[in-house]
Amino acid sequence: MRNVLRALREEQGWTQGRYADLLGVSRQTVNALETGRYDPSLPLAFRLAALHGRPIEELFFPDED
Amino acid sequence: MTSDLDNRGGRAERVAYRPYYRDLVIGMVAYGVLLAAAILFGDLEGDSPWRFAWALLPVLPLAFVLVSVVRLLPRLDEYQRQLQLQALAVGFGAAILAALTTGFLAFAGLQGWWSSWVVFAVGMAGWAVGSVAARVR
Repeated sequence: MRNVLRALREEQGWTQGRYADLLGVSRQTVNALETGRYDPSLPLAFRLAALHGRPIEELFFPDED
Repeated sequence: MTSDLDNRGGRAERVAYRPYYRDLVIGMVAYGVLLAAAILFGDLEGDSPWRFAWALLPVLPLAFVLVSVVRLLPRLDEYQRQLQLQALAVGFGAAILAALTTGFLAFAGLQGWWSSWVVFAVGMAGWAVGSVAARVR
C-alpha cells in the first residue's frame, strides 16, 4: 500500500522519534511504514487515523498495479 | 528533513528492550562465572558423578537469557516482532539443518566433541544473519 504518513508527519513538524512516541512504536517501525516496506495492522492503522484526525482511507491507498 | 534530526529509537522501543539488555548482561556475566567455576572446580575430566552437574551449570544462565528473549517478543511493536520472528525462524532452520548435517556425518563415522558446537554456532549465526536480512529487505 502507498501512504501519506511522511507528508502528514512533516506537516506537523514531528521527527520520526516523536512520531514513534506518539504511536507507541519504534522509530524503525515508523520508517518502515513511511517507506511502504510495512503495512500496519488494523489497530495501528486506527491509531494513525486517530492521531491525524482523518479516516484510514485518507492515509492509505492500494497500489495501482 | 525532520527524520534526519532524530536518530533515537522511540520510547516504546527503549522500554521494550531495557529489561532484555539487563537480563542479557546478568546472564552473560553469570555464564562467565559459572563456566570458570565449572572448569576450575568441576573436575570435568575426573570420574565423580558430580562432574555432570558442574558441566551443566553454565547452561542455566543461557536458559535465563533464552527466557528473556521469549519475554521480549510480546513487548515489541508489531513490525519489530515480525522482524525478530523472521530472524529466529532463520536461526532455528539453520540449527536444524546443522543438526541433521552433523547427524548424517556421524552415520558416516565423522563425529567429535565439536558436533554440538557446530549446531550452536550455526544457529546463532543464522539468527544474526536473519536479523540483518530482515532489516535490509
